[in-house]
Amino acid sequence: MAHAVRFEGVTKRYLRGGPRYASLRYDIATMAKGLGARLRGLEPEPRGTLALDDVSFEVQEGESFAIIGPNGAGKTTALKLISRISYPTAGRIRVRGRVAALIEIGSGVHPELTARENIWLYGQILGMSRADIRRRFDEIVEFAELGRVLDTPVKMYSSGMQLRLGFSIPAYLDPHIFVVDEALAVGDAGFQAKCVERMTKLVADGRALLFVSHNLSAVEAICRRGIFLLGGRVRATGAARDVLRVYLDWVDASHRDRLANEISPRPSQFLTLEAVTCHGLDGEERYAFKTGDDVEVRLKFGAVAPLRRPHVSIGITDGRPGNLALCSMLVDGGAPEEVDGTVTVSCWLHGVPLLPRVYQLWCSVRSEQAYGDLFDWQPIGAFRISDAPVLLGPAAHAHSATDGPVYIAHDWEVRPCR
Amino acid sequence: MPAPVELVIEGGPRPHVAQSLRELWAYRGTILAFAERDCRLKYKQAVLGVAWAVLQPLAFMAIFTIMLGKLAKIPGGGVFYAAFSLSALIAWSYLQNAISFGANALLADGALMRKVYFPREVPVLGAILSVGLDLAIGLVLFVAVGPFLGARPSPAWLLAPLLGLLLAALAAGVALTLAAFNVYYRDFRYALPFALQLWLFASPVAYPLEVVPEGWRGLYVAVNPAAGVLDGFRRVLALGELPDPALLAVSLAGTLVVLLSSYRIFKRRERHFADVV
Repeated sequence: MAHAVRFEGVTKRYLRGGPRYASLRYDIATMAKGLGARLRGLEPEPRGTLALDDVSFEVQEGESFAIIGPNGAGKTTALKLISRISYPTAGRIRVRGRVAALIEIGSGVHPELTARENIWLYGQILGMSRADIRRRFDEIVEFAELGRVLDTPVKMYSSGMQLRLGFSIPAYLDPHIFVVDEALAVGDAGFQAKCVERMTKLVADGRALLFVSHNLSAVEAICRRGIFLLGGRVRATGAARDVLRVYLDWVDASHRDRLANEISPRPSQFLTLEAVTCHGLDGEERYAFKTGDDVEVRLKFGAVAPLRRPHVSIGITDGRPGNLALCSMLVDGGAPEEVDGTVTVSCWLHGVPLLPRVYQLWCSVRSEQAYGDLFDWQPIGAFRISDAPVLLGPAAHAHSATDGPVYIAHDWEVRPCR
Repeated sequence: MPAPVELVIEGGPRPHVAQSLRELWAYRGTILAFAERDCRLKYKQAVLGVAWAVLQPLAFMAIFTIMLGKLAKIPGGGVFYAAFSLSALIAWSYLQNAISFGANALLADGALMRKVYFPREVPVLGAILSVGLDLAIGLVLFVAVGPFLGARPSPAWLLAPLLGLLLAALAAGVALTLAAFNVYYRDFRYALPFALQLWLFASPVAYPLEVVPEGWRGLYVAVNPAAGVLDGFRRVLALGELPDPALLAVSLAGTLVVLLSSYRIFKRRERHFADVV
């Protein structure tokens, strides 16, 4: 099958890294600086910021393609290049057919004009002929759900209505290539569902869809292939699920780095925490586990002076406030009679029912009377669930990594009502 | 769906002028859409509405006629001063409004430029076209009140729209360069009203072209192409004569030079507009 969009070693450098509103004075000063550097025999520093760095990928006709990555990775820049809003600094982009873009939707509709005027004028600005618009007018109005306010200036609309209008016009442009940037972040759930239906119908009709979103479950559900951009470079490309997994791994890793920075146990006058490790059933030290694995959390404490009956508690969180689970000698009993010198405390978590992401471990140690902290409640370590073999649905990876972290074994049944 | 054509987007060589013009022709509907939008927007929520297009030249004509015509005794170039000044003012206010509106068009449509592709001159030309509504209203006004001010009704009046076209070309020539620089340097936005005022005093609006010594007129019109067109308006509307063909030819040549070089400047910068605006 033929490609609809093809990036060939595309680099984009935004020239202005300076003040947002350039002035003649600033530019002359910069030019003088560059000239000065050249006179002294130095290469002037390349100005600006590199948004895309030698990016290549291909989108086929009839394919839904995702571009994912953190903020500032170059996703929107890539879309702007495809729709000819911006031009590459180097490299080449091949585009086959009419492109309709939804970048910063809503900014194109004019607040002083009515919906009717906006559809006519904005439609023509987007490249529709008058005949096209006449044919599509009712569909657009119906899709935008604006039938009753068609002759009211758009500035009187709610922001949701404005955005619906902004999406609906390009959605009926009949593009060969449809470019969507974060459009699904807006509108109520019903309208979002309509937008997704419209997009998937366009793909089913043989159009190409390029989709940029932070809504990973939408990416996983809608897109077949994709690319993961990081700092303007291609980090992964291939089937959407695989790319998504690489992305989620990266998110986990950066999350872990942040957690690691947070973790620096405060010393107490009674106890020092010397090591925290997680181990599998075989006793091997590990960081990553699967849903349902047994996990041994091993703590190494050094007591400054002999302690009687210290109560150890371990909590698990996924970064949100509150524990997902608490394992505590205050609840379970089993506190050692006396601790002297260095001891290892192991807590066995059986069949951990957690879905893939990074989890943080918290710990405290209470005194003999189970009141008063010997070791303050604080984060001490992290482990990661990397795989959930039980999940098979169309948005399994994204949902399991972003929604409800606890997995409860369950079954579904659907039966007719009598 | 017809088999789509492949478009290659590169950072390299800029398209040739002929190629740009072909593309512009394909976007003529979009120019009209911009013009229609600007016309609709202009008088929304203004109680007097289109009457503004009539009031402004009439008010200027009244002041000019009293202060310059009666008190300062500036000649009307063979016709009552009121008729002369109204004919020149209608033309001048078109030129002035078209240039300042066109020069700011890219800033006004910055949000659209950052999300939709169209040749970037499209909103500028649309803005200049939309001001044409005011010119049309002004010409109708002249046809209605001109005879009472001393103008001679004549079939030559039919030439006025053609002169208007020449004026639009000149406005486009000036506005395209200004619009391109406006994107980068907002300084131009502040300099423009000032520059237009200087230009007004340098053009035969308050005084007839005959004030300039005959031997210098050709050079004057070559340096200021607006002068030949404004004089054409005076001859056609106020005097009911044909315009001076030699002066008009000089104006036309000057206008084409301005327009073409301005278009090249604009197209050379166009690709960076969306990154900067």
